[in-house]
Amino acid sequence: MLDLNSVSKNFSGLAALTDVSFDVKNSVIKGIIGPNGAGKTTLFNIITGVFPPSKGTINFDGNDISHKRSDEIAKLGVSRTFQQTYLFKTLTVLENVMLGRHYRTRSEFFACGLRLPGARREEKLIREQAMECLDMIGLAGKKDRIANKLPMGEQRYLEVARALATEPRLLILDEPTAGLNEFERDDFLNLVFKIRDMGITILVVEHHMKFIMKVCSELVVLNFGEKIAEGTPDEIQNSPKVIEAYLGVEEDIDY
Amino acid sequence: MALLALPFILGDGYYLSVMNFIAFYAIVAIGLCLLTGYGGQLSMSHAAFFGIGAYTSAILSTRFGLNPLISIFIAQIVSATAALSIGSVVLRLKGHYLAIATLSFTIIVEILIIETAWLTGGLQGLSLIPYISFGDFIIDSDWRLYFIVWPITMLIMLFSLNLVDSRMGRIFRATKESEDIVRLFGANVKIYKIKLFVLSSVFASLSGSFYAHFVNFISPTAGSLMFAIDIIMVLAFGGFTILWGALLGAASLTFLNEYLTVFADFKRTIYGLSLILIMLFCPNGLLEGLKDSLSRLISVKNAGGD
Repeated sequence: MLDLNSVSKNFSGLAALTDVSFDVKNSVIKGIIGPNGAGKTTLFNIITGVFPPSKGTINFDGNDISHKRSDEIAKLGVSRTFQQTYLFKTLTVLENVMLGRHYRTRSEFFACGLRLPGARREEKLIREQAMECLDMIGLAGKKDRIANKLPMGEQRYLEVARALATEPRLLILDEPTAGLNEFERDDFLNLVFKIRDMGITILVVEHHMKFIMKVCSELVVLNFGEKIAEGTPDEIQNSPKVIEAYLGVEEDIDY
Repeated sequence: MALLALPFILGDGYYLSVMNFIAFYAIVAIGLCLLTGYGGQLSMSHAAFFGIGAYTSAILSTRFGLNPLISIFIAQIVSATAALSIGSVVLRLKGHYLAIATLSFTIIVEILIIETAWLTGGLQGLSLIPYISFGDFIIDSDWRLYFIVWPITMLIMLFSLNLVDSRMGRIFRATKESEDIVRLFGANVKIYKIKLFVLSSVFASLSGSFYAHFVNFISPTAGSLMFAIDIIMVLAFGGFTILWGALLGAASLTFLNEYLTVFADFKRTIYGLSLILIMLFCPNGLLEGLKDSLSRLISVKNAGGD
């Protein structure tokens, strides 16, 4: 469903990504790993339209999204969470999730301001659907809290709920377990499986190896902006190139 | 209810007229509160739109003899068109740059009003603007005006409260925090900002039109820089993100305006000074600052009780 074709990105001469190609098939969980600065978040930003690629194309469900605006890409069914959680801090927990319903709803300015029957009905529906998402991640009881006053773990969950509220076809998780403890991480693993079982394709960047090896059926390894390996977790774990990138190559030192 | 009873207590006279001026201020302030307080777009052009609303309506009814109700209506269309064309250009800018661009617009409008004296009366102002009338019923007293402008103010307030608590409102409030993130949730922020700007400007312009037809006389001060700062003052008193605060802010500024007249030209100095102090100590506005310190006081008290 997602197809990257030799995507490159330069930031004023500095190559962040070079000729990265891979595809993500429907309803799988695909992981992207690589050392710090390998270009993982840059890749996510390009896919979601935060900035365009310098070269290459990205196809999503047959649409070329390489140069689309981020709101247009979102409307095609791509949603994401952020490495540094970004919740709207003047909105409540519930309102953050309700915002996720935005492009699935239609009421305009005057309908909203005048509270026309259609707008009122829609608002009620938004609230119910947002509550369902909160229920799923177990935060329904905290719906009226201010979002960024929640503990880190719950903020991660809330970001997932907000992304799910958009009814995405592709969900992108950027280091979703950073800041979570062992226990919360296992919990999160189950949530990710649950989301996949809903038929949502997942692309995930993660540093925590145990988590990513367990959760993904396929992995892409990036190093210095280049794809150095792709395969199942088993293949990746035994790939000499990957071990080299992570641990450094042992050299015989000549005296 | 209190607002309904108020004119009976105050009687037709000075205080009732002050109440009406509060409404004129409040309508502009509510619009700016939506745009700046909730939407995060710092605009200084509301005085200009007040001026455009006042002058367009006044010119149409004095020079072309249109019924005030019709000219008020046309004035809003003119303002909306102006807001649309200005907004779609300047709203690409953010923060202080947007403030400066909209400030420049206010200055341009002020100069245009002064320089096109053949149309606007220039510095002499425009007088003999007819009252609003419904057939033989002429809105020529504070008493009658009160029952026109306050219901309108309340409707605008209700509309704004509804808007803030809707799918659109959530987008504005989120836009204030981060446009980029809002865009990632499928909202075409650019279009929304322009719409909000137009709506907010039309509020200001509507207030201007009513003002012109009630006072019967307008001068370039209606669209001036000083007025732009007055409006910011209203929000500084009332709080940028409390819609009801716009009413309180408008009230406090109007009363200050009345009581400080003895200081004549020093009035501005006092305003300037208090604006600096408010911005220093409660950047979200005086009312909000008070609210915050009150809740802090309560939580300290509770913590002390343990």
